[in-house]
Amino acid sequence: MKRVVGALLAGAVALAAIPYLHVAAFYESFLYLVFLWVVLATSWNILSGYSGYVSFGHGAFFGVGVYTTAALAAKFDWPFLATLPVAALNAALLGVALGAIVFRVKQVRAELFALLTLAVTFIVATIILNTPIDGGPGLYLSAVPVPKLGPSAASSFFFLGLVAAAFAILVAYGIYVSKLGSGLFAIHDDEDAAEVLGVPTYRYKLIALAISCALAGVAGGIQALFVSYVTVAETFSITVPLTVVLMSVLGGTRHWAGPALGAAIITTLTYASTAGDYVLAGKASVGLILIVFVLFRPEGLLGGRARRHPPVAPARSQIEVSARAAAATAAWNAATSGSRIAPGDSSGSTLLAVRSLSKAFRGVQALDGVDLAVRRGEILGLLGPNGSGKSTFINVVSGHYRADGGSITFDGQSIAHLDAHRIARTGIARTYQIPRPFAHRSVLENAVLPAMFGAAALDRRSAKREALRWLEFTGLADRAEALPAALNLHQRKFLELARALASRPRLLLLDEVLSGLTSSEIDSAVQLIWRIREQGTTIVLVEHVMRVVVALADRIVVLDQGRVIAEGRPGEVMAHPAVIVAYLGSKGDAAG
Amino acid sequence: MTLPSLTLVAQAVLSGVFVGALYGLLGLGLSLSWGLLRQINLSHFALAFLGAYLTYQLASVGGIDPLLTLLVIAPCFFAIGAAIYWLLARFAVTPLNSLLVTFGLTVIVESLIQWLWTADFRKLESHYGNVTWRAGSLYLPLPELLTLGIAVALCTAAWAVLRYSDLGKALRAAAEDAPIAAAFGVNERALAMLLSGACAALAAAAGLGLALSHTLTPSQIYAWIGVVFAAVMIGGLGSALGPLVAGIVIGVSEAVTMALTAPSWAPLVSFSLLIIVLLVRPGKIAA
Amino acid sequence: MLQVDRISVHYGAAPALWEVTMRVDAGELVCIVGPNGAGKSTLINTIAGLNRVSTGELKLFGRDLTQVPVHRFCREGIAIVPEGRRLFSRMSVRENLELGSLMPDARARRAESLERMCGLFPMLPGNLNRPAGALSGGQQQVVAIARALMARPRLLLLDEPSLGLAPMIVRELFQAVERVNREGTAVLLVEQNVPAALELAARAYVLDEGRIIAEGAPAALRAQPDIRRAYLGIGEPEAR
Repeated sequence: MKRVVGALLAGAVALAAIPYLHVAAFYESFLYLVFLWVVLATSWNILSGYSGYVSFGHGAFFGVGVYTTAALAAKFDWPFLATLPVAALNAALLGVALGAIVFRVKQVRAELFALLTLAVTFIVATIILNTPIDGGPGLYLSAVPVPKLGPSAASSFFFLGLVAAAFAILVAYGIYVSKLGSGLFAIHDDEDAAEVLGVPTYRYKLIALAISCALAGVAGGIQALFVSYVTVAETFSITVPLTVVLMSVLGGTRHWAGPALGAAIITTLTYASTAGDYVLAGKASVGLILIVFVLFRPEGLLGGRARRHPPVAPARSQIEVSARAAAATAAWNAATSGSRIAPGDSSGSTLLAVRSLSKAFRGVQALDGVDLAVRRGEILGLLGPNGSGKSTFINVVSGHYRADGGSITFDGQSIAHLDAHRIARTGIARTYQIPRPFAHRSVLENAVLPAMFGAAALDRRSAKREALRWLEFTGLADRAEALPAALNLHQRKFLELARALASRPRLLLLDEVLSGLTSSEIDSAVQLIWRIREQGTTIVLVEHVMRVVVALADRIVVLDQGRVIAEGRPGEVMAHPAVIVAYLGSKGDAAG
Repeated sequence: MTLPSLTLVAQAVLSGVFVGALYGLLGLGLSLSWGLLRQINLSHFALAFLGAYLTYQLASVGGIDPLLTLLVIAPCFFAIGAAIYWLLARFAVTPLNSLLVTFGLTVIVESLIQWLWTADFRKLESHYGNVTWRAGSLYLPLPELLTLGIAVALCTAAWAVLRYSDLGKALRAAAEDAPIAAAFGVNERALAMLLSGACAALAAAAGLGLALSHTLTPSQIYAWIGVVFAAVMIGGLGSALGPLVAGIVIGVSEAVTMALTAPSWAPLVSFSLLIIVLLVRPGKIAA
Repeated sequence: MLQVDRISVHYGAAPALWEVTMRVDAGELVCIVGPNGAGKSTLINTIAGLNRVSTGELKLFGRDLTQVPVHRFCREGIAIVPEGRRLFSRMSVRENLELGSLMPDARARRAESLERMCGLFPMLPGNLNRPAGALSGGQQQVVAIARALMARPRLLLLDEPSLGLAPMIVRELFQAVERVNREGTAVLLVEQNVPAALELAARAYVLDEGRIIAEGAPAALRAQPDIRRAYLGIGEPEAR
C-alpha cells in the first residue's frame, strides 16, 4: 500500500514540474482539463463504481460546487480558495439529504436510482436559474483574482487541477483498501447478504455519497473560475453525468485508478478530434466505445481480475474432497482442542426466545404465532414440509425480513426490530440455502468480510488470520485465492459455512446446507457440524435430509403452515401422528 | 403577481395538453419496452429525432405530405428496433447496462444527425402549419391537433392490443414469467423483437409530432429525456395509456405554472412529481 | 406414448438427473414420488421442455423432443401445472385460462373449453375477472390446473399440486385430477404426499438423488422400507 501512495505522490511531483518547462499554455490548459475529469470521474466512481449505485446526478453536485464558488466569489467577494471547502460542503449536504431519503426506500434499485438522480439535477438547475443565485443571465467571475500558484494563470489552474486530481485518486485508493471499501464492494455484489453479515449498508452508502459529492463540488468550484462565466444551461447539461459514467466504464469501475485512466483517454480523444474536421466522428466513436465496452468488456480496461485468475481445474473425485475436509478437520481438532468460540455452556439455558412470531407475505401467512426456544449449546432441528415457514423463520431471526408481530430475544436482548447488520453484531450468523458468495471477491475475501464486520469485529490483519483458520476448518484453504465461480456446489456450501463461522457467532442458523450434496459430501458436512457445536456454537438446523437431522439434533421442532405442531426429542417427534400426517398425509386424506 | 385572465389560463391548459400529448407519444414506446422487455432504451429519443429530421427532409425537400412520410419511415425504424433488441438480448444486457449501451447509441445517432443536417435550426414548413382553428377565444393550431390525434389514436390502439388481443396477453404473460409463458406456446424471442420494432416505429410517429410543431436541432434530444422519463414512471411501466395521461398532467401543470409565474420554473413541476411518485409508490415502478 | 430414455440433466457440473428411464402410456395416471431434492421437479420440467437434456432421449408418440424449443412443446400435446402454480398473477383468471389455449386447435375450441372448466371447477365462474394473484392458494391451484387443461393436452403434467394446501383441498383437487384422467387425458403427477399419490396412480416411480430407485404398482411400493427411510429417516438409527 505504501508503494502505491509513494508512486502516486512521486508522479504528482513529477507532473508539477511541467509549468516550469516553458510549454505552451494550451498544453497546461489541456492537462488541467484532464485533471478536472479525473476528479469528476474518480469521485463518481467512489459511490457508483464501488457500491453499484449508478448515479446520473453527478452534474447536480458539480453544479452546486460551481455556483457556490461563483456566488461567493463574484457576489460576496470571498477569496477564491476559501470558497472551495464551502463548495465541497454544499455538494455533500445535497447528496446526503438525497441519500438519507432514497437509500431508505428498499425498492429503489439500480436503474431507478440512476433516473432519480438525473431528476435531481434538473430540479437543482431550475431552482438556481429562478432564484437570485443566478436569476438567468449567468455569473461572471472575470473580476475574481486567480491565486498565484505558478508562473502564469494557466499554470495556476494546472496546479489546482493537479492537487485536486492527486487528492481524489488518493482518497479513492484509500477507500479501496479500507474497511469502507470492502463493505462497498460487498454491497455491490449482494447488498442483502452484506447487511446480514454485519456491513452497515445504509451508513456506508451515505459516507461514499458524501465523499463523492464533496469532491465533485471542489471540481465545480475550480471549474467556475476557469471558465469565468457560468450559466445554468452549460453547467447542468447532460454532459457531466453521462461522461463520467463513460470514463469509468472504460477504465474499470471496480478499480481505484480506472476512472482516472478513462478520463485521460476520453479527454485526449475528444480534444484530439476537435482539432480537425473530425468532431462528429470523435463524438460518435466515443458512443461506440461505450457500447463496445459495456457489451464485451463491462469490467473495463483495469478490471481484468477475473481474467488474470482463470478458473481452477474442476474438483477431483468427491471422495477425495471429503477426505481432505475430514483430514483437515482432524488436524484442526488436534491443533486447537483448547480454543472455543463461546464459553461452553451446557446449562441448557435459553439463548434465543421467540414468542408469537408472525410474518405474512402478500396474503400468505408464512409464520403464524410461532413460539420457540433455542437452548444454549444445543443442535435444534427445524423441520416441516415445503412452505411450512422454516426459511422464513431464519430470514426473520437474522433480520432479512421484519416480523409483523411477536418478539425475538437473543441472550436477553430484544432483536426483533434491529437492522440486520446489528443483529449480526450480536452474534447471530446464517447460511443461505442457495449459496450467495460475493461473486467478485476471492474465497478468502469472502471469509474476511464477516470477520471484520461480524460479532468479532476484527481488524483486517486479524480478520485474515481468522478467515484462513475457518477456510482450513472447512477444507477450502487451498482455494483461498479462487473466485467463487470456480468452486463446485459442495465447496460453495462449505464457503457459506466458513463465512458464517468467521464472524464467531454464538448462534448459527443453517438453511438447508445439505441440499444438493451427495451422500459422502453429506457425511463430511455432518462431521463439520458436530465440530462446530463442540466449539460452543448453538445451531439451528433447517433440513430435509431426514436421516441427518434425526442423527444430529438434540431436539426437533416441526412447523406446518407457519405453526409449531410438535417439539421434542427426534425419535418421539418423528413418530408423532401430527408430524406423519404433515409429511405423508394420512391414508384417510387421500383421494377417494 | 397579477393573475392572468381566464382565457390565458385556458389557452395555457390547452397548450399543456398539446405538449403533454407529445410527451405521452414519446413515452409510449419507452414505457412498453421498459415494462415488457426490461430494456431501458435511451436511444428512443435519438430515434424520434432522427424520424423528425427524416420527416422534415422528405416533406420540405421531397415535397411529400408529412403524414405520408410516416408510411416510409415507420417500417424502416421497425427493422432498427428489432435489431436493437437483438443486440441487447444477445449479450444478456441488464436493465442498467441497457441504459448505458443505448446512451452510446444516442450519441452515435446524434452525431449522425449533426453530420447530415448540421446544428442549424430546422423547421418543417407544411401547409398544416398555416391552419389554426378557433373555439371561442381559444386557438387550436392544426399541427398540434394532429399530434394530439395521433397520440390518442396510437396509445389507445396499443392499449387495446395489450388488453384484448392474444398477442397482447402473450406479451404481458411473457413479461411476468417467460419460461411458463413459453411452456404454453409463447415464442418470447419473436414477440420481443416484434415489440421492439413496434416501439421504434412509435418513435418514428413521435418524430412526426416533433417535426410538425417544433424547431429541430440535435442538442434538443436531451431536453426531452428528463420529462418523458418522468411521464413514463408516473404513468406506470408497461402501460400504454399511463404515459399519455401522466404526460398531459405534467404538460398542463407546467403550462399553468408558466402562465402564473415564469417559464423557467416548469421543470420543477415534472421532476418534483416524479420524485414524489418514486418515493411514495416505488412498487408501481418496480417491474 | 411418452418415453423417457436414460435422460441425464446437469446443473453446471452437478448431475440433477442420472440416466432416468420411464414411460407413460396413453390414458394412464402415473406418479413420481421421492424426498425433497430428489430431482422430481427437474424431471417433470424436463418433460415439459423447461430444462435442456444433457444426454438421453425424450419421445412423445415416437417423436424425439430433445431438440425442440420449449414454446413448441405445447403444440405437441403437453401441458404443465408447475410447482408453486406460477400463474400470471397480474392478469385476470380469465386471461390466465385464455393463455392456456393459445395454440390454434385449442384456440378454436376456447369457449367450449372454458365452459367445461367452469363445470369441472365450481369456484371458477365467480372469480373469472379477479386478478389471479388475489386468490387463495387452493384457488390458484385450481386455476393452474384449468389453465393447463385449456390447452386440451394429451399429457397433463402436475408438479407437487398439494404443496402448502390443506388436506381437504388436496382431496378435492385429486378428485378432479382423477376425473380428468378418466375422460382420457394421461397424467404424470409428481408428489411429496406419498399415500395420496399412490392411491391415485396406476403405476409409480420412486426417485431419490436423481435416480429411479423403485418402480411398479402402488401396493408393492408401499411395502418397501426404502421409501419410509428416505422420507422419515427412521429405520436406520446412526451411532452418535
